[in-house]
Amino acid sequence: MFGIFFQTLKNKGLDVTLSEWLTLQQALDQGLCESSLTKFYYVARMILVKSETDFDKFDMAFDECFKGIRSDDEVTNRMLRWLDKPEMNDMLHEEDKEYLNRVEQIQIDKDDVEQKYKQRLKDQDSEHNGGSYWIGTMGKTSFGNTGGNIGGIRVGGSTGYQSAFQVIGARKYRDFRDDRMLDNRQFQMALRKLRQFSTKLDIPKTELDIDQTVDKTCNNGGCLQIVMDRPRKNSVKLLLLMDSGGTMIPYCNLLNELFQAVHKSNHYKEVKAYYFHNCIYSHVYKTPECENGDWIETEWMFRNLDKDFKVIIVGDAAMAPEELYAKDGNYRGPNGGYSGEEWLMRMRRKYKKIVWLNPKMSLVPAPWREAETRIKALFPMLPLTVAGLNDAMEILMKRV
Amino acid sequence: MQTEFKSTGEYVASEQLMASVNVAIALKKPLLIKGEPGTGKTMLAQAVANSLGKKLVIWNIKSTTKAQEGLYVYDTIQRLYDGQFGEEGVDDIARYIKLGKLGEAFESDEQVVLLIDEIDKADLEFPNDLLWELDQMEFYIHETKRTVKAKQRPIVIITSNAEKELPDAFLRRCIFHYIDFPDKELMEEIVKTHYPEIEENLLKNAMEVFYWIRGIRDIRKKPSTSELIDWVNALQLGGIPADTLMEKLPFVGVIVKKDEDLETVKNHH
Repeated sequence: MFGIFFQTLKNKGLDVTLSEWLTLQQALDQGLCESSLTKFYYVARMILVKSETDFDKFDMAFDECFKGIRSDDEVTNRMLRWLDKPEMNDMLHEEDKEYLNRVEQIQIDKDDVEQKYKQRLKDQDSEHNGGSYWIGTMGKTSFGNTGGNIGGIRVGGSTGYQSAFQVIGARKYRDFRDDRMLDNRQFQMALRKLRQFSTKLDIPKTELDIDQTVDKTCNNGGCLQIVMDRPRKNSVKLLLLMDSGGTMIPYCNLLNELFQAVHKSNHYKEVKAYYFHNCIYSHVYKTPECENGDWIETEWMFRNLDKDFKVIIVGDAAMAPEELYAKDGNYRGPNGGYSGEEWLMRMRRKYKKIVWLNPKMSLVPAPWREAETRIKALFPMLPLTVAGLNDAMEILMKRV
Repeated sequence: MQTEFKSTGEYVASEQLMASVNVAIALKKPLLIKGEPGTGKTMLAQAVANSLGKKLVIWNIKSTTKAQEGLYVYDTIQRLYDGQFGEEGVDDIARYIKLGKLGEAFESDEQVVLLIDEIDKADLEFPNDLLWELDQMEFYIHETKRTVKAKQRPIVIITSNAEKELPDAFLRRCIFHYIDFPDKELMEEIVKTHYPEIEENLLKNAMEVFYWIRGIRDIRKKPSTSELIDWVNALQLGGIPADTLMEKLPFVGVIVKKDEDLETVKNHH
């Protein structure tokens, strides 16, 4: 039984090692779980899982292995997964969200809803998004997630529970998952990774190593012997180019956070940030408003920001084909004699390290998104999530 | 002597947290504590030490701290200085070896609680440099060819604010606990351990405002436990009547510190 648990954890993407597994066996041997499933849940979690971002995966694996023990009228995880649709939130308008926020303040006949809900839990056997009867997202019944009905049962959420399965059912740690959208603090943390790789390797030895010098001198009978070392400095220069076009408006908060995070990370040698509208053409803008005139020439950027700058381009890559391929495809400014695609290729020629972060990237090949597919061929493209940003940092720091 | 960790008079621990501490002690592994700032990570070690009646050794980590400093420092400057004046015993390197916090914990005759505070502040390689020492509870002083071995294996508690990822090899050796943000019940208990004589109504209303502010979606820096405690203190000292809290938000600067957050709070108010 426990062997299966180990396998399931692995399958859920948890990197559990044998030594940790043996530690758990040792804990069981010592009777630290006191034959209680809930205690076992906590002990196993504290030994096997080393980050709150993985708690959710652990919960799901635990649930899969030990679910025979739970009672029937509880929410199944399968059902919660149907309801766990962050992208549905984006489809709601701002005023709808306001409206939903008021849900808690309105009293309704709870018993009635609860009974219907239990009945429906028994009957439902598939995923529902929209509609007015089953439990699902975006619907109008009194239960489900991101729905339009005020005062119903919200399936999935986070409340304070005690026993293991109730914790799992609430999926408290879902928001910690690192494959979900980023928020501002996480941005900063991820950007710090650029420092991690600022190795000492490629800088000359210019700093006096006092300890070593003194020690060597002492051993040398007082005759001075100087030891030099490499300074610990971050040599990373960062160029941030952000799409501020119409289709990016839903992500403007996210972009603002990224911008803030980059500026707060004062450990870079140099940081430059410019904006563009849909695609990069002959000018890049100094402000997110992208006013014509308040810009610098892209050529100027090429001349003044040298090739060692690491470039992060953030955009949804959702241009119309002519915006990318036509020499007059820029409908709100000059093209400068090149098409958008040619400008991007010039970017690629100039800078050694470029990544493209896309807040709504298709994770599978999507030939129907023509511009995205083309740009994916030009630059490594990653989703704008914690995991994506971390991967991007790695690509930026990889030595050629 | 007590061998199990329990909540103390000054520190309220959740059941899970107590279990984590006791498992870590039983399995002789370092306990890694992560959590939002202000959830009492650092205070935990003090509470464990008090509860078990052991001495606490604190090693505060800063961005410039190197692993070596925790083991021992070889005072080469002093040796050079002494050498210039032909002082006695310059050739005895052992005189210039000074043990660090980890060394101090190892050399102690009684078992101590060793707190490595905010390990993520240091260089990224820092935790890896301590792997052997924390595993084997010993280290080797090259200069004097001496091995320092723990007389009594210390109880090691490590805190992290998750500013940097810790290396996998290091994590594998730890017991991990994530301090959740306290729910209302626990929070009430925590505030009461600090101010046992607090007026019920004041506490109730203060908590209401506090969780309301934490719940506002656009808040960038959510107020933490320690800020609530400061705020409650300010309210008590200021003699603010309990029923005006939600309406007037007195001393709100104690819990909301960013200008933009203050604005958000006012807009939602």
